[in-house]
Amino acid sequence: MGKKKFLKRNVGFLFILPWLVGFLVFKLYPFAASLYYSFTDYQLFEGITKYTMENYVDIFTTPKIVRALKVTFQYSFMTVPLKLVAALFIAYILNFKIKGVNFFRTAYYIPSILGGSVAIAVLWKAIFKDDGLLNTLLGFFGVNGPSWLSDPSYALFVICLLRVWQFGSAMVIFLAALKGVPEELYEAASIEGAGKWKQFFSITVPLITPIIFYNLVTQICQAFQEFNGPYIITQGGPRNSTTLISLLIYNSAFKNYEMGMASAMAWVLFIILMVFTVIAFLSQKYWVYYSDEEGR
Amino acid sequence: MKKKQKFIALGLAAVMAFAAAGCGNQAPEAPQTEDAQTAPEATADVQTEAEAPEAEAQTETAGSETGAAAENDGSYEACTLTISWWGGDARHEATLAAIDAFKEKYPGIEVEATYGAWSGWEDSMATMFATQTAPDINQVNWNWLEAYSADGSAFLDLNQVSDVFDLSQYEQSALEQCVVAGELQAVPVSMTGRIFYWNKSTFDKAGIETPKTLEELMAAGETFKNTLGDDFYPLSLGEYDRMILMVYYLESVYGKAWVENGELQYTAEEIQKGLEFIQSLEDAHVTPSIQTITGDGAESLDKNPKWMNGTYAGIFEWDSSASKFSASLEEGQEFVVGDYLPDMGDYQGGYSKVSLGFAISETCEHPKEAAMLLNFLLNEDEGTTIMASERGIPLSKAALANCQAQGLLNETVAEANGKVLAWVDYPLDPKFEAAALKSSDGVYYDVMAGLSYQDYSVEEAAEILIDGINEELSK
Repeated sequence: MGKKKFLKRNVGFLFILPWLVGFLVFKLYPFAASLYYSFTDYQLFEGITKYTMENYVDIFTTPKIVRALKVTFQYSFMTVPLKLVAALFIAYILNFKIKGVNFFRTAYYIPSILGGSVAIAVLWKAIFKDDGLLNTLLGFFGVNGPSWLSDPSYALFVICLLRVWQFGSAMVIFLAALKGVPEELYEAASIEGAGKWKQFFSITVPLITPIIFYNLVTQICQAFQEFNGPYIITQGGPRNSTTLISLLIYNSAFKNYEMGMASAMAWVLFIILMVFTVIAFLSQKYWVYYSDEEGR
Repeated sequence: MKKKQKFIALGLAAVMAFAAAGCGNQAPEAPQTEDAQTAPEATADVQTEAEAPEAEAQTETAGSETGAAAENDGSYEACTLTISWWGGDARHEATLAAIDAFKEKYPGIEVEATYGAWSGWEDSMATMFATQTAPDINQVNWNWLEAYSADGSAFLDLNQVSDVFDLSQYEQSALEQCVVAGELQAVPVSMTGRIFYWNKSTFDKAGIETPKTLEELMAAGETFKNTLGDDFYPLSLGEYDRMILMVYYLESVYGKAWVENGELQYTAEEIQKGLEFIQSLEDAHVTPSIQTITGDGAESLDKNPKWMNGTYAGIFEWDSSASKFSASLEEGQEFVVGDYLPDMGDYQGGYSKVSLGFAISETCEHPKEAAMLLNFLLNEDEGTTIMASERGIPLSKAALANCQAQGLLNETVAEANGKVLAWVDYPLDPKFEAAALKSSDGVYYDVMAGLSYQDYSVEEAAEILIDGINEELSK
């Protein structure tokens, strides 16, 4: 093959070189290395002394890790549906031609930009501390509010709320999908006497199921990997009630330097995510409607 | 068209290369977690020198003393040194000013500084030590020597640069605390220990004196509750504070060190007694529960409005932290250094330890120049005048004499440090501060919070504590 021909065929790789190098160095290598480390007793300052399956056994027999997995499931099962419903509901409202709609779209999107920053941690603590804004408001109605941040029964709720509050990005995607629903379908349904709710559930929802599916999968992935909320607000407390598995992985790796164990936990998390993603994909044929195919 | 494609592709590759190069020298991140250490804490994230607040007064002083016309006389090599430390704004400003003075005195030596708050600092530094990418000179915690350089691989043996760094300024006993693997891996800057501090104004409001005995402290809880209200407590203790106070108490009662020769010296029954003592403080309304403190929603006690306004009227803290806690009080509150409580037991329980030190990385390419910088900061008059007591009362004889002569020592810190060193008597094993024990998800936090939340009985808590400590000691 001539030099010119070779260059012509492979010039595309040059275009994607920045991404390719980044992917190999920052994704693929750590991905493979963590799998290797997960079968070792790798300690950051002591290196590897043996190859073992013990990490994986310990994950399912150590109460602290089992609890973190349980809390992660609770967190994900609470936040994913709530966030999707909130995002779809607000997107649906913002799809109407109402005055100042652009302002509201921006306002609802802002929390997604702010994310899990330190400023938000300060805000959240100010709202939920014992004598914070929420309990002060409840006090006006004669309600003695609970200890949101320090009672293990309530702390997870506070962390969940932070995530649900950041529904902006999912909302924008829903909004784009709602714009794509043909107007004439609503007109026809109106003529047939269908109300707004009937139209929503019989026209809107079926037609945006691919987007619901997309948001569902991405939100599941994000929820299981959540780190910022518990890290900045509760540091996993009180009494480990908000210690999600990703926070435990961080603590294990960078506080206790147990890289082998942290890698194994990361792989268990990856497998859990894979299982849920596969289930979601397999379930598509029962509820997701792709208009460019033959029906469902 | 083809040329254009190639040009764009090459351009992109070049951009990537520059971007990658730009990523190579970033400061570590400083996540926000609670300080459970000796560091005088700050609020700022990691900063580079360019972002640092100016400290003109200190710089000018240094400049006038060192003279601006200095030249490289060939006795040292022109180079760039890197240095890291954690601390508060005052420490940052003083250290940067001292570095400026050093650069003025030794032209040709550039110094790049990386500094920030304690929160998250150790996580970043540990990774750097493990990957041998740490700066040339590092402020280190005492237990880091054992934790990160148990075989001497992370830090230079300072005896190798003793012709430049004046080790004779330090007591041999202090230097020995920094000897690990037979090498002097750091120079100790100051000693520290825990002591009580009181908000005298709140005690005055309650109509009582600040406690001089354990009996008075226990009685103060009830007095506070009855005269000031349920929210008022004479002492606030977090999880790690409780652990240290328990050790002080047990050493006072039993007259033996917590850990000696790598072995825990206390039986389960003795530790149970210590845990009962801590719990009795909660029961007697001396200290709020862990749940109450967590519910305050404050990042740390000095930032807790209840400490600032006097609702919590006492702390058990490092002597070097006095200025931080004093400064955070609202106007009109009087901050005083307390005394040890002699009726805790028959012995003078408690320990002092090296507060922090400076170490030169094994990877440093200019150890002589690094030692020159350290000597300037810690021993020479020009440097110590600027650094003063920003890292506690200096252990360096020359620095102490200079600071005393010029009246540069913080009076409260000096008073507290004097009381600590005059009282405490027991050694501290470096593993007492191991991350697996004292981090926020470590054994100490689990035991003390579990006891306070009543998740554990005293017997269970003692068992978990002993198992956790023995596991760490066996490593």
